[in-house]
Amino acid sequence: MQYEARSAPRRTARSRRHSLRGRVATGLLAGALVAGTASITPFVAGAAGASTTARAAAGYSGKITYWFWGESDIPGITKWMQQRIAIYEKLHPKVSVDLVPQSNTTIISSFKLAAQSKTGPTIDTQWATLDTLVPAFSGDVAPLNGLVPKSEMSHWINTNENTYKGQVMAMPLYLIGVPLVWNKALFKKAGLNPNKGPATWSQFLSDAKALKAHGITPLGMGNQDGYFGAWMFAIYMKQELNSLSQVTKGIANQGNAQSIFESKLKSLYTMMQALVKDGYVNSNVSSLSLNQGWQLFPEKKAAMSFTTDGNVLSWAKAVGEANIGVGRPPIWGTGSLASTYDVTQSSDEFITSWAPNKQLDANFLAWLHTPSNMAALNKETDAFPADNRFPVSSITDPLARQLYKLDTTGKSIWLENYLPPQVDSDADIPAGQMILSNSGSPAKAVALWTTQLNLWRTEQPTQFQQFKTWAASS
Amino acid sequence: MSVGTTMAHVHAESIPTPRPARRRRARWPVAYVAPAVIALGVTFGYSFVEVVRYSFYAGSLGALTYVGGANYTAIFQDPQFTHSLLDNLKLLITVPVITLLALGVALVINTGLRGWRAYRAIIFLPYILPATAMGLAFSYLLQGGGVLDSLLRDAGMSFLIHDWLGSPSWVLFSIGGVIVWQQLGFGVVVFSAALLNVPAEIIEAARLDGAGWWRIQVSVMVPYIKRIIEFFVILEAIAALSSVFTYVYVLTGAGPAYSSSVMEFYIYQNGFENGAIGVASAAAVVLLAIASALIAIFLWVRTRASKDRA
Repeated sequence: MQYEARSAPRRTARSRRHSLRGRVATGLLAGALVAGTASITPFVAGAAGASTTARAAAGYSGKITYWFWGESDIPGITKWMQQRIAIYEKLHPKVSVDLVPQSNTTIISSFKLAAQSKTGPTIDTQWATLDTLVPAFSGDVAPLNGLVPKSEMSHWINTNENTYKGQVMAMPLYLIGVPLVWNKALFKKAGLNPNKGPATWSQFLSDAKALKAHGITPLGMGNQDGYFGAWMFAIYMKQELNSLSQVTKGIANQGNAQSIFESKLKSLYTMMQALVKDGYVNSNVSSLSLNQGWQLFPEKKAAMSFTTDGNVLSWAKAVGEANIGVGRPPIWGTGSLASTYDVTQSSDEFITSWAPNKQLDANFLAWLHTPSNMAALNKETDAFPADNRFPVSSITDPLARQLYKLDTTGKSIWLENYLPPQVDSDADIPAGQMILSNSGSPAKAVALWTTQLNLWRTEQPTQFQQFKTWAASS
Repeated sequence: MSVGTTMAHVHAESIPTPRPARRRRARWPVAYVAPAVIALGVTFGYSFVEVVRYSFYAGSLGALTYVGGANYTAIFQDPQFTHSLLDNLKLLITVPVITLLALGVALVINTGLRGWRAYRAIIFLPYILPATAMGLAFSYLLQGGGVLDSLLRDAGMSFLIHDWLGSPSWVLFSIGGVIVWQQLGFGVVVFSAALLNVPAEIIEAARLDGAGWWRIQVSVMVPYIKRIIEFFVILEAIAALSSVFTYVYVLTGAGPAYSSSVMEFYIYQNGFENGAIGVASAAAVVLLAIASALIAIFLWVRTRASKDRA
């Protein structure tokens, strides 16, 4: 497996699978965890690097305040976390963990406020890469190096995306892949080969044309919140690139990188505009949120969708597993990165710089990655853990195995994560909305990017300098 | 005249002074209002000063850089800001719509319609609905292919079908419609209460003079509650400028492509999501200036009207 900088299809959701089998398995695993405590504890204590008993004891005494997010990515993960906390508090009676779930709308703003007063969480969740690294630039994140041993972190998948100045800033929990999914029955109805999804863009357009001719909406998505447009940027802008530095240098305005970046953006938006004008996307794409737009697929109102692994598994129940086809998003771009996949850790967990007992927090985070906890995460949520110790053999469902193979084969990049949060929210999202709502031309959307990039550089001078340093070093 | 003023007046008259025209004011009332003044000073005064100060800095708290008036230049170069400002001004159109509708309904209710209390309660109901419930309900009603579009299709009026929240041309009308729907009840309650205070003898006198129902409403009832109407208009105008965030946030998130963004959303997005406290502060100062200017114009017009009447 080779992972080069994955990032997050953020703010996603799916219906949770409440299987009895999962609950029973979780209960059994909880028991196994308690039984396995003896082997875990010395390892984590060792991870603290504490040479004295007193220091080791300090790592298992105190209060952890954990501002946690993940439910809208992985339904069921909050319950999993609550179960882990209950077990951990039982294992370490002097440790208490106060879990504070965050929503999509509070995850960033709440942490910004907390960072200003240096109070609040001792462990926090943020979306991967720049959403995590921007607070790290400001010194609000404590590096995990020295708190968790390298041997442990070597099992975590995708840590390079949250690395700054050679130090791992955050811990991943799970992976999310973004495949293209198609309804085989609707493909058959349109006279298409149900077992062969579109692999190239011309095939995609050809399939879409056939579907539309049969009165079937080819692609079902939602962009009221701007996330479908942001996903198109993440998946397809990447395909036009030869390296990530074409984006980071463009944002940093180095040499003529910005004009190259903008010309590629224009190509992307021209392609997206054609999708809308040809009627290949649901006509109400601009008034449905991403989650609402996704519902068109399980309701059999759309033949294709870009979605998450979890949704694919959930929808298989609605339309029947035999009717679901999955594959990589069709290739549109001509850059070297066009063949990379779109999998990510999505969100990550880090220790705040003001946490009074960082070893206490680090021990808990490391403990979450123990194989039994990771297995429980998969059982409870169907999500794939971001840990290479997770046994592939435990995935028995053929569709899940197919998804896991997609997620773990070759390189992956989620380009949206390489945008500074302000650029993402002020340029990426509205530019996509402009195109998909048919209210502006590709040139106008690119002009919006130019304006917002300039404003960001002016309004966030320190962040801009830190970004340039990070971009140059990564 | 208050008791305090009366006492001061008496005191001034009983003791001869070289300058009888200048009466010394008692200072003890100051002590009564001091706590409120101090509280306001701390909560509003301090915040105001800090907002103005931050508007001259760039970056996030903890990493601020003095940039002079650059934030003000930047926001006027930002298409989202100018769009937001214009959207707020466009939403001012809801003020006369709400006022006229509320006044009309209140006048009808005031005629002693059977079950008028129930009608008033029903009309008031939307005003107390939680914003999240309202947002969820209207997003399903107004989304493309949603409930409203289905009703229009079933009624044979497919030509009226639109993506009410997803189309930049229609989204502001949709938000304006929701504002009118929710605020109408407040207006009806305010005007109904005011109309109940109109003395019956005035109405009776008008009736004896031969005035019909319409004439009584236009020439007696409405002029009698003119001050209340003025107050309501200014209240709603300020709300249209600085209290429409909830509608935008729950219905559209300012989209698509800023087409429904308003000043409050712009301030929230920059201050809380982007951490650009200087930009958010500069926008807040501009919003405050506009709202203050509107209030000043209102007070000036009102004072001039009073003088004209005198």
